Amino acid sequence: MALPKRIIKETERLMAEPVPGISAVPHEDNLRYFDVHIHGPSQSPYEGGVFKLELFLPDDYPMTPPKIRFLTKIYHPNIDRLGRICLDVLKSNWSPALQIRTILLSIQALLGAPNPDDPLANDVAQRWKEDQNAAIETARQWTQEHAKP
Amino acid sequence: MDPAGQHRDMMYCHECHDEWYRDEHGLTCPECGSDFTEIIEEDHDPRDHDDDDDDSMPDLEDHHPQHPLHHHDPFQPADDPEEGDISRLQWRQVGPGRFSVTGTVYRTVSPHGQGRDDGGANALGGFASILNNMIGGAARGQPAPEDAVHRFSYTSSARLAPRDAINPQAHMEPVDEMTNVLVGLMATFGEAPGGPNAQHPHGHPPHANGPGGGQMPFHPILALLNGMRPGNGTMGDFVYSQEGLDRIISQLMEQTQSSNAPGPASQQEIDALVRKPVTTEMLGSEGRADCSICMEEVNIGEEVTELPCHHWFHHPCVAAWLAEHDTCPHCRQGISKHERPSNTADGNTGASGVNNHGQMPGSFAMGDGPANDATLVQENWENSGSSQQDSSSGGIGDRIRRGLFGPPHR
Repeated sequence: MALPKRIIKETERLMAEPVPGISAVPHEDNLRYFDVHIHGPSQSPYEGGVFKLELFLPDDYPMTPPKIRFLTKIYHPNIDRLGRICLDVLKSNWSPALQIRTILLSIQALLGAPNPDDPLANDVAQRWKEDQNAAIETARQWTQEHAKP
Repeated sequence: MDPAGQHRDMMYCHECHDEWYRDEHGLTCPECGSDFTEIIEEDHDPRDHDDDDDDSMPDLEDHHPQHPLHHHDPFQPADDPEEGDISRLQWRQVGPGRFSVTGTVYRTVSPHGQGRDDGGANALGGFASILNNMIGGAARGQPAPEDAVHRFSYTSSARLAPRDAINPQAHMEPVDEMTNVLVGLMATFGEAPGGPNAQHPHGHPPHANGPGGGQMPFHPILALLNGMRPGNGTMGDFVYSQEGLDRIISQLMEQTQSSNAPGPASQQEIDALVRKPVTTEMLGSEGRADCSICMEEVNIGEEVTELPCHHWFHHPCVAAWLAEHDTCPHCRQGISKHERPSNTADGNTGASGVNNHGQMPGSFAMGDGPANDATLVQENWENSGSSQQDSSSGGIGDRIRRGLFGPPHR
């Protein structure tokens, strides 16, 4: 199946005008599969960490959202043990006007603003609510341990 | 997105008997790393062979020198499963933390009876199937080749992987899981019981002696459960491990990931959208603009389609989107004339209901009743627990309704 022009354009634009703190590089043998790196936002427990993700554009993209998953272990109430992300724009609020770029920015923003009221990792969210400082400290430790560049 | 109907190669590992989809894990066994694997084909199923070698499959004669079926009259109509129809159902520990459930059910099928096949379904075979399906295992029904007396050997087995209580593991979001289960259950109401895949997993046609005489006596609940499994009836989805379970849950999550998104706009409404040539004032300040769906540049004079919210796109681009979700890609406003009750459960006049009306053969009759039922279900649901995953009110109701009225088309 030929690669739609939109994917080519998005890829070119990601390369030509990269977003600060975010990189997405397609695999040579599969241009729908991207290696993604997101820098933890400053003033968050993820600061200083570089998180690796995988991103895949399904056949019916952009009518369906990209599939994205964290590969780096991360302690976050909206990201589970397998790296699956709970983010509305990746699910019911996807729109074809969104792009890889905007989605990755949303994920970076999610790192800066965890939402324990809409959890994917229930145990993390629980801890986040009960003892936020301790949870943030754990997130910081995990960042040091697993997300060091 | 929806793998139903589309063929996916199943792989089988001769070392550890793991099974997986080839397109997910390739040719090497993801469980034990062995290369001694094989593609499962309809006319060549390595699992059959293994079952023969497997000493967990009891030789009936060993245990029942005089099998009760010996004197059984297969032509005698009977609605209850005979005692002799059960040959064995056993739980066996196959390793640390792993159990295997093995059952062999011999079932006599009366040629008299459609009634028996459909109504008086095989409770015992059905039970084994339910058990298997509950734990994500696979049930494989195989008509015995020497089928002269309309007898079917029904064999099923599955393994259980209990949760690891020692090592920390993430919770599996029971709320979402149950939602998925419910949606799956509801969705299957619209399908013919069993579905085409469910009845002859190995491609053997039934030995039809008489009306329905050779049909595998599938329990209707098995049919329901079949519809719940990823791949809609794909046989051989075992759960061996936490990873296997995660895989299946991931699939379920993906299948329903957009199910609380707004439903499609009607074709009439899409066709009725205003089409007009691009004018200078429609372009941005830089004097250029592109269709944000295909990202192609749009030139002055080119025909585009404008939504009621005045956002415009190429017609084919936006039509493809609206046919799935009635929202403007930019501002999310719908194109439907009547305001859709997108986030309420009390709308039995909503566009989502109207649009999908009658798509599902065998679904509940549409009208006030079922809509009230949906409301009821939703209320019960919200009373019974937190629905944080779908905290927008009516999210669950929407999902259940969508389950009732058919999954989103792709």
